Amino acid sequence: MEGKSPEFGSVIAQTRAVNKRYPGVHALKSVDFTVHAGEVRALLGANGAGKSTLIRMLAGVETPDDGTVEIAGVQLVGGVREASKLGVATVYQELSLIPGMSVAENLFLGHWLRGRAGIDVRAMETAAASTLSAIGARIDPGREVAGLTLAEQQIVEIARAVHEDPKLLILDEPTSALAAHEVGLVLDVVRKVAAQGVGVIYVSHRMDELRQIADTVTVMRDGRHIATTDVRGASTQRIIDLMLGETAAREELGYQARPLGEVKLNVVGLSVPPKVDEVSFSVRQGEILGIAGLLGSGRSELLRAVAGFEKPASGVIEVNGMKVRSHNPLHIKNLGVGLTPENRKREGIVADLSIAENMVMSDYGKVSSAGVLQPSLVQRVSSALRARLDMKADNLDHSIATLSGGNQQKAVIGRWLHAGSNVLLLDEPTRGVDVGSKAQIYDIMRQLAADGAAVVFISSELEELPLVCDRVIVLQGGRVTAEFHAPQIRAAELLAAAMATEEEN
Amino acid sequence: MSTTTTTPGQRVGLRQRWERLVRSGTGLNIIGLLVAIALLYGVLSATAVGFTSAANQVGMLRDAAMIGVVATGMTLVIIAGEIDVSIGPAVALSSVIFAKAMTAWGLPAIVAILVTLVFGGLWGSVVGYLRARIGVPSFIGTLGLWNILGGLALFTTDALPVPIPLTDPTVDLLSSRILGLPTPAWVMLLAFLVFGFVSTRTAYGRSVFAVGGNSSSARLAGINVAKIRTLIFVTTGMLSALSGVLLAARLGSGNGGAAKGLEFSIIAAVVVGGTAMTGGRGSLLGTFLGVIFITLLGNGLVLLGVNSFLQQVVSGAIIVIAVLLNVLMSRRGGHATTD
Repeated sequence: MEGKSPEFGSVIAQTRAVNKRYPGVHALKSVDFTVHAGEVRALLGANGAGKSTLIRMLAGVETPDDGTVEIAGVQLVGGVREASKLGVATVYQELSLIPGMSVAENLFLGHWLRGRAGIDVRAMETAAASTLSAIGARIDPGREVAGLTLAEQQIVEIARAVHEDPKLLILDEPTSALAAHEVGLVLDVVRKVAAQGVGVIYVSHRMDELRQIADTVTVMRDGRHIATTDVRGASTQRIIDLMLGETAAREELGYQARPLGEVKLNVVGLSVPPKVDEVSFSVRQGEILGIAGLLGSGRSELLRAVAGFEKPASGVIEVNGMKVRSHNPLHIKNLGVGLTPENRKREGIVADLSIAENMVMSDYGKVSSAGVLQPSLVQRVSSALRARLDMKADNLDHSIATLSGGNQQKAVIGRWLHAGSNVLLLDEPTRGVDVGSKAQIYDIMRQLAADGAAVVFISSELEELPLVCDRVIVLQGGRVTAEFHAPQIRAAELLAAAMATEEEN
Repeated sequence: MSTTTTTPGQRVGLRQRWERLVRSGTGLNIIGLLVAIALLYGVLSATAVGFTSAANQVGMLRDAAMIGVVATGMTLVIIAGEIDVSIGPAVALSSVIFAKAMTAWGLPAIVAILVTLVFGGLWGSVVGYLRARIGVPSFIGTLGLWNILGGLALFTTDALPVPIPLTDPTVDLLSSRILGLPTPAWVMLLAFLVFGFVSTRTAYGRSVFAVGGNSSSARLAGINVAKIRTLIFVTTGMLSALSGVLLAARLGSGNGGAAKGLEFSIIAAVVVGGTAMTGGRGSLLGTFLGVIFITLLGNGLVLLGVNSFLQQVVSGAIIVIAVLLNVLMSRRGGHATTD
């Protein structure tokens, strides 16, 4: 199964029969994995396939339950520091730079060079300049990081990792936050790093990117190492088949057609530079529209713009036949649009408030009398929502933080039902939610649509879109590149469209 | 990318320096402040009677020192993402400790100064410890300290001044001038030079930026975050003590009710100087200009005969406007500011 790679150097990182279990999840199942010096290895897998866990093993963040991890022939025992001593450097999705410092100082963070008169800024800038030029980055090492573009900051992150002279460099979706035209800058840097004999593990689902830089690709599914193969020899379709396995066969269950009414939400030529480019779509009463797209494809930005949280550069939005005149969230809310955000913990719930308050906060007026909140009204309204959404909550006065993820999500959806929204934009409503609650959230979506709402549903787990959607549009690089109608919606085709390279479109 | 590259060993050109300055939020802020100070100085010279007199200029330097000495340490506190609101009472109690040390305890002036500094360092370390090791927010910790120190200063003196012997040569030196400038002004300049160096050229200073900018990446880079968070409050404690000594020498007594509201002038100076309340960004040069701006403003309003109640209104409004401009400029510079 392991492709032979004679053109690469020695083995730089290896896991043997690694197992990892978390409560309720067997995250890695006897995984064997090998990377060579100078190789760029793409790591692919659907959500929950075990990619992140594998990366965390190699970086020393997690230790295997059994099996071994070796870096450059030495068994990794201990945590992150030990892994970094052995030569593992990791760049995570979240930027970790200090904005008020120069590029050079960030490269030396915590280990600043000292000269006769304190920290030697010039020596650090000289060293940083050579690190940056070695990876082909044209960034002034004396610039303040806060003034750099996102792509430049990402390159500085990589430079910081490279600066430690690693043997293995792990990049976790390094381009997901970048606009399409910025990606090339980062890819050039990665190529230069690999050319110096560093083994690179590159997590990304953008197939065009992977074809440009990866030599080999490892596909994981359900915690297993499924296959490692040359990128050149593998068609996108084959990789998708490996990623999804037989799940693709099970997807027709659950979908039921509903009668559709008039257009509730109509978006024409909406652009939000740099992430959304001339997107048009509409949703009808009773319809569930899915939006598929990779991380960074602009799907969240699109919904946020529709809800008024980002200012579009151009385009028209019509809600219930009314043209949106001012892009302010309150106005759009009053037109009947409700958005449940992607990050439930940070933007969805107010953890310290009660379940009831979290639901009524979208419209205090409905539970007030003469401007004073009426506890009895709050109680009645929130109890009704609890029953309608089948929430498992004994006491609605308890903090919402006491609920499970799925029930929290129901409360956030309930908030918009309370506001009377009939255009519901649900951004990853099933993320971090257990299987049972997922099914309930699908049911809620179907019920809402049947009651006459228009629902827009974003999901990274493409397998769930065919279960509930009447129609799915695929976003790639901020543009709509494909559209599928039920019952002809297949996860594999969605994934192929989302990952497709320019030529394959 | 429109950036220029430095090849190893190449010296940084003037054009590149200018570009760095303009592209950094701090640089823009300093240019703006310099313009504002020049304008204010020009307008006051033309309109306020006695503004340009030597006596007024020297008086302004003394006022600036009162704010400026502690503003140096406060800059580091705010860059680290913390706040210290205990300064006023800390300065007052320090002046009392210094006076008592010289009189009731009969210590020589130099020793009395050291004792006062030790006290300041001690209470600073308590707040620092609470913040760094236990996680008590620094606003709460220092608010408590504000009450405790203020209460102690009044309780131990019955709200009466504690006179100090003005004949003492050290006290005389602290209250007079050196080379034509008031001694406190020299102390302030020295403090700015020292802290300017510390903040840009020492591992400690850079660690303060790192902790305020992103404490988890600072921790991962091996920086002792708890130590940094403790030391910044030790620093403001000791600087408050130093200010208390200077105040006592100037007034000729330790005074438990002195320096009311000083913490707000200091925080205003730091923020006007472009230091972000969210931490991670700021400069001592900015704070220095902020101190000058706040001092000029206060002095000008008095000389122009503005009603003293109205002075508060005007200076409050101007400080908010200054910070507003600051935020708008850094937004134009492409920095994230909201949320």
